[in-house]
Amino acid sequence: MADADDRYDEGMFGMPDFGDHVDNGIFSQILEMDESDDDRDFSAPLVGNFFDQATETFEKMDHAVANKDLGDLSSLGHFLKGSSATLGFTKIRDSCQVIQQYGHKLTVDGAPEPDSEVCLQKIKDALKAVKVDTAELEEMMKKFFG
Amino acid sequence: MPALPAVPALPALPSPTNTSDDRDRDHDLHLDFPASTGPDMNLVFDCSPLPLLMLSPSCCITRASHSFLRDWRISADQCVGQQLTPFLQTHMRPAGVALTRYITDAIDDAIAARAERTSKPVTTAHASSSRARVIPVFNGDQLIAITLEWNGRPLGLSENDIVTPGLSTDEAFRILVQALKDYAIFLLDTHGYIATWNMGAELLKGYKREEIVGKHFSVFYGMDDITAQKPQMELDICLREGRVEDEGWRYRRDGTRFWANVIITAIYKDGIHVGFGKVTRDLTERKASESRLIAAYEESEKLKSDFLANMSHEIRTPMHGMLSACGLLLDTPLNERQRDIAKIMNESGQVLLQVINDILDYSKLASGSFSITSDIVGITSITASVVRSVQTTLQPTVHFELSLASNLPRSVQGDPLRYRQIVQNIIDNAAKFTEKGYIRVESSVQAEDEDSFTVLTEVTDTGIGIPEAAAAGLFTPFTQFDATTTKRYKGTGLGLSISKSLAELMGGRVGYRPNPERHGSVFWFTARFRKIKDLGQIQDWKHQLADIDGTPLSLPTTDIAQVQADLANVASSRTILLVEDNLINQKVMLSMLRSLGFENIDLASDGLEAVNLVRGKPVGYDLVFMDISMPIMDGHKASAKIRDTGIRVPIVAMTAYALKGDRERCLEYGMNDYVPKPVDRKYLIKTLAKWLISAKDYRRPIIEVPHEVSGELSKSVDPKVPSPVVDVDVTMTSPQLDESHLSL
Repeated sequence: MADADDRYDEGMFGMPDFGDHVDNGIFSQILEMDESDDDRDFSAPLVGNFFDQATETFEKMDHAVANKDLGDLSSLGHFLKGSSATLGFTKIRDSCQVIQQYGHKLTVDGAPEPDSEVCLQKIKDALKAVKVDTAELEEMMKKFFG
Repeated sequence: MPALPAVPALPALPSPTNTSDDRDRDHDLHLDFPASTGPDMNLVFDCSPLPLLMLSPSCCITRASHSFLRDWRISADQCVGQQLTPFLQTHMRPAGVALTRYITDAIDDAIAARAERTSKPVTTAHASSSRARVIPVFNGDQLIAITLEWNGRPLGLSENDIVTPGLSTDEAFRILVQALKDYAIFLLDTHGYIATWNMGAELLKGYKREEIVGKHFSVFYGMDDITAQKPQMELDICLREGRVEDEGWRYRRDGTRFWANVIITAIYKDGIHVGFGKVTRDLTERKASESRLIAAYEESEKLKSDFLANMSHEIRTPMHGMLSACGLLLDTPLNERQRDIAKIMNESGQVLLQVINDILDYSKLASGSFSITSDIVGITSITASVVRSVQTTLQPTVHFELSLASNLPRSVQGDPLRYRQIVQNIIDNAAKFTEKGYIRVESSVQAEDEDSFTVLTEVTDTGIGIPEAAAAGLFTPFTQFDATTTKRYKGTGLGLSISKSLAELMGGRVGYRPNPERHGSVFWFTARFRKIKDLGQIQDWKHQLADIDGTPLSLPTTDIAQVQADLANVASSRTILLVEDNLINQKVMLSMLRSLGFENIDLASDGLEAVNLVRGKPVGYDLVFMDISMPIMDGHKASAKIRDTGIRVPIVAMTAYALKGDRERCLEYGMNDYVPKPVDRKYLIKTLAKWLISAKDYRRPIIEVPHEVSGELSKSVDPKVPSPVVDVDVTMTSPQLDESHLSL
């Protein structure tokens, strides 16, 4: 009885509700690659790797912000966008998209934004937000993987 | 009033009781004229040229002069003996109004003051602005009679009604024109020199009469207008047409300008042209409020579009989540009923997604933020591939005919995606509304010059057709031409309006006419493309890839489990190269491929590494998955390099958050297919099956199969009827331009 209730709470993919942090459809595909639900031998280290990668990328981004290197920021944004999209970490992905776009001196809609200072500020804001989101998600994931 | 007899010689006071006697006497008086005693006073009264009424002290009419009877067009019988008030009421206009009070008030005043009084004007049946001059007649202290002398202008000259009594018409108009402040009204002589000036002109233009009269009216115009000889042109037009009206900037004495409405009228006197009348109004305020209105309208349009764009984006993201969840659900063991329900969810979701994409496109088009990219367009291959994709959805009772003119260029420069979107929209529409008969697609070059082609595509169907009344609104957003079709056929009603905007962005047009042969429609559109001067590298790739053919148009989408099983059978003997710089993506992709049974997977983390690996094993790989954005060498460049070395291994691009145009770009760099990231397992299975099972092995010797596509087309149209006109260029068989290989 208690088991059934737990499962119910965890939703249809056996996952807790990560809110708008995670695209459950995509993330569940990752979880399905595990040999068994009890021993998440594939997904757990993968997600761990992701947070390492994110931390590393944020450091590089901080460095690039200090150097006002928009081109670098754009490719770093694209890089982390790729892995966050693969895992279905939508909030992180969207912030990375913002960083990538403004690194290209484009708005999110693709319109040109010629003012480098504006772009840099947008990137700083997005970077700040994505760090917070990443920390939140990391906390949730730690609980999930136990 | 000298004629009035305030004298004792007057006969006995008439009274209401003896009216018949009065009349008798009246009658007698005409006959009898006793010269010895002087004229009878009654006769004097009757013959007075003034319209006179005599009243008893109790206001009964006792006598009326002939002049009065004539003016009021009545006989003595109709007034003498009547009380004044009811009499007047029947002759007032409008009848019965309380204005008789003006007369009775004047009478009361006159009696009280024992002096003559004049009433306020009233309108009677015969005269306007009629006033009664009231003369009370006293004998000592006793009122013996009241005389009313009527003063009014006869009706019939209505244009004079507005003129205050005492003014001549000319004078009144002059004053009117002179005093008008809101309009500048003045006369010009035949050559345009100013002849008169009114108050309005002075206020509006800032010139005093004495400084402007005699100057030419072009002083009010700006330099541009004068250079363009607008003043003289206006006079010329005015002479020809009698009148000219214009709106534009005019200048005041102090150099400031105002937005003016000007009407110039040619003036003739006795058939001779004597000058021009000019009326100028200041519309600056109106123009300002107009522009404010327009600005407000544009702002609200923009907000609407922004809202639509944002909302569509917000809806799209969870939609994708829902659809992929639904896709996963369909992969699980389900009973038939559950599968049907899940399929309905999936299909409805796809429709909804299409609707959202339409709205997103529309709002981008409406806000002007839509851009047309410049890329290589294979017109024939795009049209043929759309035809083939639509063909599979048609009812068997519909024949499809494709006719591509032989003069169509192989490749042109333009936006392949947008071109395809229009073709797809119009052909989809034809398919949607046609249940039997035929759909004919014809493309030809409509015009050609040194730099560009204008390509005309016509789609003729034998569908439900369009009522004449609805034809005008066809290209208006959110319109489906009537409520019943909206219910029967799903859709946003945005398709044609999007096509129209897209065609216009590409320098073309969209149109409709009824099918001339039978019931149905003809939709056509044109688009202009730049010519490509240097085809060099593209031609190389085409040549290299020309022998990869035989790929199916699309895979049956239903039995994914079967496809997966087939794939598992061949997986262990296939070698795949995965090119991906991001470790996470690499791991996930690797894990997915392994779970599908693939064991031989090589990894490369940038384009250069990939090129070296492929060069090292020219026939070693069965398939390459290529990330696009990578350090050192990106996927585009790596693919181009692989093709340059003559290796024709299928390359499937992978890129995150893909835009529609990315696919075309990948194809142009020599890649064969495309998988959006994050990679969907089901999509991956289909793509793998397509390239590892269905496609001919690229290592097999080349066998020339010319015109394969055209053969295939005519076969599938209808085996019983002769082949339709199909004239497809050989290049169509090259898969890198033929997107039908992508349709999954």
